[in-house]
Amino acid sequence: MAQVAREMVAKAGVNVDQLVELLVKNAAAELTTFYYYTILRVNLIGLQGEGIKEIAETARIEDRNHFEALVPRIYELGGELPADMKTFHDMSACPPASLPKDPRDVESLLHVLVDAERCAVRGYSQICTMTAGKDHRTYDLALAILNEEIEHESWFSEFLGEGPSGHFLRRGETSPFVSKFMK
Amino acid sequence: MRRFTSEELERYNGKNGRPAYIVYRGLVYDVSESFLWQGGTHQVLHQAGRDLTEELETAPHGPDLLDRCPVIGIILEQEK
Repeated sequence: MAQVAREMVAKAGVNVDQLVELLVKNAAAELTTFYYYTILRVNLIGLQGEGIKEIAETARIEDRNHFEALVPRIYELGGELPADMKTFHDMSACPPASLPKDPRDVESLLHVLVDAERCAVRGYSQICTMTAGKDHRTYDLALAILNEEIEHESWFSEFLGEGPSGHFLRRGETSPFVSKFMK
Repeated sequence: MRRFTSEELERYNGKNGRPAYIVYRGLVYDVSESFLWQGGTHQVLHQAGRDLTEELETAPHGPDLLDRCPVIGIILEQEK
């Protein structure tokens, strides 16, 4: 644990235990989403599915990166990951992004993907609000993840015809915002 | 539709296998089946068995998400 770092956050008025629990729940959401997106990605086939596969894969890898980036902050603040993987899964901040009953229904798959991203956007917005001006390091991390989750949401939303995303596919490496926390 | 007092509502806090009910703008919602309300707690910060009208105003989502949960009653206003 980074004792003074935790002390500074508490002194700024943040309930550190609540914050750590939220970070663990969001880390669980990221890792479980990485798992569920693996299943969604392999089922994105056919003329419609193949077009979405690339962004689903990018979102999958970036969600795993978010998990990797969150873990050090959890331990710095005195938290820990549950020893039991099932416990970790069940405490996720977002519902499972399960494969729809009809895996060939690409629109249903897209709804699962966009719902998962929207849950993440809400979660990191909440953490940013809790930490803004108080816990600079967690805020910086949550904001970086939020930037990527917003892009994921807009990609899938665009495929659902909800409106233009205003974004292009990633050029080069993944996680343009979060990668600085992984070096 | 069932009528709840605030005292009755407090019993439905989702703890120890009890159902989880919350109030928004006078309506009682059953959130027991929601993955996001396991154990009667939502995103660490919000507890079932309470009127969450004010808390929802500052939540990172609108009341439309409550449409996924059944309305099972109304809350009786306390006499002043």
